[in-house]
Amino acid sequence: MSEIEFLSWIRGPGFQIATIVLVAGVVIRIVEILLLGRKTNLAEAKGSEMSSGLRTVVTRMIPDAGTFRRSTFTIVAGYIFHIGLFVTIFFYAPHILLLKNIIGFGWPSLPTQVVDALAMVSIIALLAVLVHRFSNKVLRFLTNFEDLLVWFVTIAPLVTGYVAFHRIGLPPSTLLGIHILSVELLMVVFPFTKLMHTFTLFMARWYGGAISGYRGVAS
Amino acid sequence: MSASLEKGINALKEQVDSSVASFFSSCVHCGMCADACLFYTETGDPERTPINKTEPLRRIWKSEYTLFGRVGKMLGLTKKVDDKLLADWETLVYDSCTLCGRCSMVCPVGNDIALMIRKTREGMAAAGHAPEGLIGATTRAVTIGSPMGVKWPALEAQIGHVEKDTGMKVPVDVVGAEYMLLLSSMEIMNFPEFIDAVTRIFKHAGISWTISSEAFEATNSGIQIGVSDIAAELVQRIVDAAEKLKVKTVISPECGHAYMAIRWEGPNLVGKPFSFKVRHILEVLDELRKDGRLKTTGMESQKLTYHDPCQISRRGGVIDEPRHLIDMIAGNFVEMPDHGKMNWCCGAGGGVSSNERADEIRLKVFQRKKDQLDAIKPDAIISACSNCRIHLEDGLEEYGMDIPLLSLTEMLAEHLAED
Amino acid sequence: MSQITNDAEFKRTLQGMDPVQQRVVAARFVEHVLPLSTDERIARVTRVAADKEASAEELSGALRTAKAATMDSHTRCGSEGNWTEQAGYFVSRAAMAALTPCEQCTSGSPAWQAAMSSRMAQTSILIDSDDATPVGNEWQYDILSNYLNS
Repeated sequence: MSEIEFLSWIRGPGFQIATIVLVAGVVIRIVEILLLGRKTNLAEAKGSEMSSGLRTVVTRMIPDAGTFRRSTFTIVAGYIFHIGLFVTIFFYAPHILLLKNIIGFGWPSLPTQVVDALAMVSIIALLAVLVHRFSNKVLRFLTNFEDLLVWFVTIAPLVTGYVAFHRIGLPPSTLLGIHILSVELLMVVFPFTKLMHTFTLFMARWYGGAISGYRGVAS
Repeated sequence: MSASLEKGINALKEQVDSSVASFFSSCVHCGMCADACLFYTETGDPERTPINKTEPLRRIWKSEYTLFGRVGKMLGLTKKVDDKLLADWETLVYDSCTLCGRCSMVCPVGNDIALMIRKTREGMAAAGHAPEGLIGATTRAVTIGSPMGVKWPALEAQIGHVEKDTGMKVPVDVVGAEYMLLLSSMEIMNFPEFIDAVTRIFKHAGISWTISSEAFEATNSGIQIGVSDIAAELVQRIVDAAEKLKVKTVISPECGHAYMAIRWEGPNLVGKPFSFKVRHILEVLDELRKDGRLKTTGMESQKLTYHDPCQISRRGGVIDEPRHLIDMIAGNFVEMPDHGKMNWCCGAGGGVSSNERADEIRLKVFQRKKDQLDAIKPDAIISACSNCRIHLEDGLEEYGMDIPLLSLTEMLAEHLAED
Repeated sequence: MSQITNDAEFKRTLQGMDPVQQRVVAARFVEHVLPLSTDERIARVTRVAADKEASAEELSGALRTAKAATMDSHTRCGSEGNWTEQAGYFVSRAAMAALTPCEQCTSGSPAWQAAMSSRMAQTSILIDSDDATPVGNEWQYDILSNYLNS
């Protein structure tokens, strides 16, 4: 396959396949959760389920002091790469343009130096996260193939994007192709793995908050 | 597949609902739940990571309730639930977990891991993998009416003793009383002073109350072992008695899991809402305080702290009430570091104290509570669960600490203002 | 000193006594119910409690032993209760109360606690036996009166 063919496949059929797998997969996973339903709670309520659920969706992002002291690395590194991913995906001008073509509207971008710096910081954070997965007893015990696969498909777009932006090594168009390929890999892997937490965490936090809130405990 | 294993797997299947599915879908293996669990922090054993305790339930969810999992099962790619797994998990699910719920509070994706472990117990018990002590307790609860074999004549004798001591009547089987008090076998056997205290407080406040001779037991072993059918039967006995006596409110005594069982799980176990309210004794006392019907005199000068029983505070919602009551009589009160809904478990609830095999680990994880106490050095500890009390005493004794345990209800009774 | 005839008077009198007096009287309550306990440690710690001249270390050592005995004799949650054995638990509790300093006591009177626990020990035996008649509390009033008169 020549480079032109590779690039046009990546941007064409490749992207379409990845999108279909991502969207269909996410929908299936969400629907199969909702279809299970949950029995109505017949006990006399002490607090509101709905408002506690919604509140927990937000407040669960903020750990209490004791928890922060005990899980500092996980929390800080987690915040860094999540924010980094969010900014590099949604506030980098070329990405916004791409999204504008798909959904019809865009928004202001952040300066490229900022995105660039955040991308590097996120890469470092993710590398540290990987080291932590092996140096920490609990994480070493919990970590499985899926965790490593997800780690790889998450860091790959950041690294290939960074490399493409800085035009290191190969021709720019090839680097871009590799970057897009890495994103498509992420999309395809997404619905089969814990990456689904991106969507399901809203449900999980809502349920967790609702269950607690029903009993009058703010969580 | 043996009949038991099949029952276990079916029991696990019944436990999967949309909340469980969202929880398992969202777990990212961050390990924060371990940092919040005293069974991990005090032992350093990663197998005790809370989310790991739910593995049998997770496998069922994956292979039965996800499309990709079902496909994987057909291809022989998914992990199975077999007797070996359940046997291996018994000490994790029963000996190393009190269902305290601290993990559920810290999980960043919002998982109620304690609930998942509670559900996992349903499968373990149905497959025959529950600890002996709990099986015995549950059998006694069903056949005798009390997990510790306490029969009505025994309670009657304790009541006689209380009536003589206080000079007050303990109303039994009074139709139309406003409140029906339940008692846990632990209190009847180990802390009967509680009955004394409640009698005096209720007389002081002018409450119309009663005990039912047919259903006085608050402890629900079915909840602890994880057999909802048994838990439901035990709840139904209370419902029948409450309806027969036409009471408005059933009072759950100073026992943690009893409150969770009757207040929160109760109606869901029996399948219909109660026609009466359920309140913890501390909620009732706080209501009396608010209404001005509970008057106390004198303040304790010793430095006091409060141990939040997990099933009552974090999992039960009764967090502020004890503090309002303590304020009435404590001149020198300090909170533990990590208090209220983030307090640490005493290590003995959820069936752990009924399980002799878990004695060693229970005393080992007490170190967490010890550290909390070392930070504030109180003169005494107040609590409101008889199981917590005895096991805090046990732990304190084991670690050579000289701090007395006091019951909040008994303290209030001691400080009642004479009319 | 007039005979004490009811609990209100009994409790008031006990609460008015100084710590050493309370401890010694409490020890006598425990001695009375000692036969209901099979733990030989209790006899030993009760002797320490009964000793007016006992040192602070002896007392705290005895208290620790009483606590250990109490823990050993309580009925584990969910296990089959035996009321005759449970009497021993209440005797240990009484001994514990006798040795507890006043400030650490809920009711402010270790002797009152010891008296209550001793009564519970007797109630326990009652529960297990079919035809035993309830014992009154007069024996406690007598012990107190005799102590105050001596």
